[in-house]
Amino acid sequence: MSKSTTRIWLLAGAVFSLTASAAMAQQTNLRVFVSSQHRPDVWRKAFDMYEAKNPNVKVTIETGGNTSESQAQYLNTVMTAKDTSLDVMILDVIRPAQYAAAGWTVPFNDVLGSDAEAAMKRYLPAYAEANTVDNKVVALPAFADAMFLYYRKDLLEKHGVKPPTTWEELTAAARKVMDAEKDPNLQGLSFQGKAIEGAVCTFLLPYWSMGKNLVSNGKLSFDKDAAVKSFKLWKDFVDQGVAKKNIAEVATDDTRKEFQAGNVLFAVNWSYAWGQFQGGESAVKEKVGVVKLPAVAGGQPASCLGGWEWGVSAYSNNKTEAQKFVQYLSSPETSEFMAINAALLPAFADKYTDADVTKAVPWFAEAKPVVETAKARPVTPRYNEVSEIIRTSVNAVLAGTTTPEQAADQMEGRLRRVLR
Amino acid sequence: MATASETSMATAPNEGATKWWTRFLDPSERTLAVLLLAPAALLLALIIVYPVWRLVWTSFQNLSLTSGVPAEFAGLENYRLMIDDPVFWETTWNTILITLITVPGALVVGLAMALMANLPFRTKWPVRLSLLIPWALPLSFAGLIFAWFFHSEYGVVNDVLRRFGFEGVIWFNSANWAFAAICLTIIWKTSSFMALIILAGLQTIPRSLYEAAEVDGAGRLRQFFEITLPLLKPAIVVALIFRTITALQTFDIPFTMTRGGPGTSTSTLAMYIHQNTVDFLDLGYGSALAVVMFALSMCVTAVYLRMIRAKG
Amino acid sequence: MNAEAPAQHSFLSGTPLRILVGLILVVNGMFPALWILFTSLKTEAELTAKPITWLPHAPTIANYLRAFTDQPLLLFLFNSFMVAILSTALTLFISVLAAYALARLQLRARDLILSAIIAVSTFPLVSLLVPLFEIMRALNLLNTWVALILPYTVLSLPVCTLILVSFFEGIPRDLENSAMIDGCTRIGALFKVVVPLSAPGVFTAGILAFVNAWDEFLLALSFNSNPMLRTLPVGITLYQGEFAFPWPVISAALVVGIVPVAVLIVIFQERVVSGLTSGGIKG
Repeated sequence: MSKSTTRIWLLAGAVFSLTASAAMAQQTNLRVFVSSQHRPDVWRKAFDMYEAKNPNVKVTIETGGNTSESQAQYLNTVMTAKDTSLDVMILDVIRPAQYAAAGWTVPFNDVLGSDAEAAMKRYLPAYAEANTVDNKVVALPAFADAMFLYYRKDLLEKHGVKPPTTWEELTAAARKVMDAEKDPNLQGLSFQGKAIEGAVCTFLLPYWSMGKNLVSNGKLSFDKDAAVKSFKLWKDFVDQGVAKKNIAEVATDDTRKEFQAGNVLFAVNWSYAWGQFQGGESAVKEKVGVVKLPAVAGGQPASCLGGWEWGVSAYSNNKTEAQKFVQYLSSPETSEFMAINAALLPAFADKYTDADVTKAVPWFAEAKPVVETAKARPVTPRYNEVSEIIRTSVNAVLAGTTTPEQAADQMEGRLRRVLR
Repeated sequence: MATASETSMATAPNEGATKWWTRFLDPSERTLAVLLLAPAALLLALIIVYPVWRLVWTSFQNLSLTSGVPAEFAGLENYRLMIDDPVFWETTWNTILITLITVPGALVVGLAMALMANLPFRTKWPVRLSLLIPWALPLSFAGLIFAWFFHSEYGVVNDVLRRFGFEGVIWFNSANWAFAAICLTIIWKTSSFMALIILAGLQTIPRSLYEAAEVDGAGRLRQFFEITLPLLKPAIVVALIFRTITALQTFDIPFTMTRGGPGTSTSTLAMYIHQNTVDFLDLGYGSALAVVMFALSMCVTAVYLRMIRAKG
Repeated sequence: MNAEAPAQHSFLSGTPLRILVGLILVVNGMFPALWILFTSLKTEAELTAKPITWLPHAPTIANYLRAFTDQPLLLFLFNSFMVAILSTALTLFISVLAAYALARLQLRARDLILSAIIAVSTFPLVSLLVPLFEIMRALNLLNTWVALILPYTVLSLPVCTLILVSFFEGIPRDLENSAMIDGCTRIGALFKVVVPLSAPGVFTAGILAFVNAWDEFLLALSFNSNPMLRTLPVGITLYQGEFAFPWPVISAALVVGIVPVAVLIVIFQERVVSGLTSGGIKG
């Protein structure tokens, strides 16, 4: 080849490879870790819509582990090893503080604009609290959840009892109905006593209702009297026969199954139970009402905040794109889409009463007041230790191996060691 | 000991052929030893040495991922914290107790099962299968299944008790009953491990020994103590070493049955390590606990090895 | 079979007692498996009925259908099987070599090596998880079978080696020596004489290695996140929901996952052990 021909080929080759790599460089691959429990098929549609609007972004889903715990186990391993394969991850609402402290997430403050606080105000207030650590927004809400008081509409109507607003009223209502029905299989109240994450909510519900906060700004504010009263409230249900003796064996789904079989009058559970109760195999279809959790006498009703959040991995190679993507996923439009197509509770207050949403999932309108009373569990990097302390204490009190006073003492000692 | 005559016997076939690869097929003792042990050594170096080195190094550091502070060398700080930690002592005691109960328990049950399985059954496969299935059941599911069996309302155990006129026990409402349930489950699962190893040992005892003893007039019990048990000793000791080490590492069954409850009364050292490492992300403390577990296991192993050496 | 020693148990050779003993063993070992089998035929509502039922009232195979459709159960089985078989083969090969060295060769460091091998198994796996993950990632082995085969081999190496050592030591040296006089090499004698005579031990070591690999959960969860590579223990946890634990479907998956394997092993054992020891010198 002559020199000039060579040069032309070289030039062509250079131009070609430049444009090719430019095109490729523009293509971003985002890998998203989604829980297989929360309708990844519907999230996939939301991802497709984003891809359509952003042709240079391709989103792949990774799912792993079916429970919050096994997902955390997997993510913890991957993040501790500083793996770069994940860009976006869905996190249980209790995890953002821990992940932020470990340096595993990228804050959103710069992309949210100068007024991050205002941006967070669009969501339900509890989510702003759950996702903000040290004034940094570490994750954005994917969808919401809260604990509800489910009750048997038919049985309450039959005995002329109104849905209770305080725990005392609940006890009275339960006693009245149980004495009248004389069904040995009917439980007055079912809640979580097993040493699972839900037991943390069990302890905190009355505690919050008394107006106390266990942890504020990462610091412990332990009110011993309130703690003892909280333990006593649940223990009394067992002692008075309103809750069954082996409540310490009961996990979230046990409550759901037993209510669904028609054996429970009042049940404390998350939103997933509603769909099950209205399902084909349910013995209580059309007979279920939902209401705010009762308050302690003279207190405010409080529910336990659930739901999941989107975070961006600090080891991701596509942080900016990932942050943009998460903002889309956490937008009111996506929230409405997920509510209609996957029955996931929105993190935006106005979406609950949106016309399209209520057409698809009518009960969301009833759910709204309950979700608005929900409070976030302690937002601290050492949440897992706090959770362990609280749930083992609840379990011990309900099993009868510790008294409420002993449990409160031990709990305070252990919490102080962790939270200083 | 490779005597001169043995070595010459070993090399005798090759006196005519002097191909270079005969050195590998009939190498000297030392080369042979290196060759035979090399694959094991390589694999162990890759999979174990680096992680263990990291583990020990981390145990001397203040490395808690949620503290937001980078790792800093802390000497024996983690170990000092351990001594003051009541949960550490409780879980260690629980682990030792489980070991003391389930190792002899599994040995006795396993020995009995092996002896029973060695009987001349006409159809052997149901017996073999029933030894294998407990072993083949994944550990975590064994825990879940037995948690269901011991459920106070829907469990089989209470059902059987009630049919015999007893009141059901709320197994998981009390530390002692929960502990008993856990130990029973562990013994059920691991006795088949023991039985499998002991059965293999039983099958290599030559019938001629028993026949000779019969001729000498020895009764069945004497045969058991003077022939069976001594010849089984190597198999039993091997089974015991690993059963003990696994017992010290008990995790899956208490985790799935009680999560350590009520309170922390059924939590084991391995569960505490798991919690600190994966859950609390306190890698420094978790590593220190793992080193302690290793030390405990090594003490136990030393005892057993002395027993092997003693028999000669 | 050489050591059924009927002479030793003459009083038990009566059929009724033998049947009773057999029944005890079978019930003890199979009861949970049978329970899982029955549960897999029940509906979920029946599980929480009181009083509890043992045999299913209205048996249904719906759970088995769901077990195969909810999750790729056959894929899980395939992955588990391949990983278990390959790591068992590797384990047996390496431990046979190492056990022979420790049993036959007078190594001064024998006890030290034995202790080192045992020491390997005393570290809790969860503590080695993160460094192992880093190694696998550095070697580009994540999401491959090899990532699991190597650690599983190490997991079973100590127990298999020790079992084989005790079996090899029980075999008289004259047997190998006569083989070598007949023209066998040392290593040839190992595989043609010593191993066949230790068949029960080799087989037991093999089963242990297989089951250890079959059961392992933590590493399988962390190293192979690719859904195409999931093994059975990880896969079975996918039938669970965040809160729900569908016992009937999971029981069906367990039945499919475990029983065929156990049956295969039993059949295999009959053939292998009797085949290899029938021509033996013992008894």
